[in-house]
Amino acid sequence: MERTGGSGVPADGILNMKLIIGGAYQGKLDYAKEHFGVESVFTCGRDLPQLDFSKDAIYGLEDFVLACVRSGVEAKDYLMEHRDELEDQVIICTDVSQGIVPMERELRDMREMTGRAMVWLAKEADCVVRVFCGLGQEIKGKK
Amino acid sequence: MNLFISGGCKNGKSYFAQEQAKRMAEEKNRSLYYLATMIPTDEEDQARIRRHVREREGWGFTTIEQGRDILGALKQADPRGVFLLDSVTALLSNEMFTASGQVDFTAPGRVKAQLLEFAEQTGNTIFVSDFIYGDPLQYDALTEAYRKGLADCDRALAWVCEQVVEVCYGNPYFFKG
Repeated sequence: MERTGGSGVPADGILNMKLIIGGAYQGKLDYAKEHFGVESVFTCGRDLPQLDFSKDAIYGLEDFVLACVRSGVEAKDYLMEHRDELEDQVIICTDVSQGIVPMERELRDMREMTGRAMVWLAKEADCVVRVFCGLGQEIKGKK
Repeated sequence: MNLFISGGCKNGKSYFAQEQAKRMAEEKNRSLYYLATMIPTDEEDQARIRRHVREREGWGFTTIEQGRDILGALKQADPRGVFLLDSVTALLSNEMFTASGQVDFTAPGRVKAQLLEFAEQTGNTIFVSDFIYGDPLQYDALTEAYRKGLADCDRALAWVCEQVVEVCYGNPYFFKG
């Protein structure tokens, strides 16, 4: 089968995984609960370079990336190694790619590492939604 | 119809908002009001205001200076008119950070309620806000309280407004309507 991720039809090689991105305080978690039936949530920690895939959603992926920066792990590599566990997950990440390049080295690294991880996740996901002021814009696939 | 507009700095939000307001007022044959929210504190602000006033010349706006207490504007205007409120950002800033240096942490909740009331009473208001949520910086608690407060106001307005638009370098993207 052809990869038809952009058209909304899941194809071989694309995970049943939803990616929700958006700026800070935009209502990404509320959106996940309302539209994807998310009930249980794993919240990432800034000093925990690990993910728990046993819940419905992984929230605050940018904090996981910061933990990766602090412990010298490439977040994208970690995610690729756990690819199978991403099936049926909803991943929520704050879009930190805009704005001025941070003065702090750690945040600069986190910003770039988040970008690398997100590009890969968006490629693997069958649906990517950007949340803006509580409203969703489907930028890949269909809910 | 109420309209909520946000987007990045200098992306053409105000110009888009003025066009929409003017068209709405002409279609419905209503008065056209500009709610000026900036309270100038220095020469830089004065110059910015002079530029904005020049840019609005000939559009037919009646300007109402209303940096705080937004419902107060309705005492000197026809509530059936079309209102352009530019911006929610400045309004919250004025209410939260007072001239004496005090910070009012109750401002976001109060301003949100007043904005929703304003939307309901007028029904023809264009709200302009600023998208300040896209960088990785962790700000001090005060700034984060303000960012979260503005986001709460934005989300509440986006929920009740019939149209929600992000303006990206002059191009509108309709999230709703």
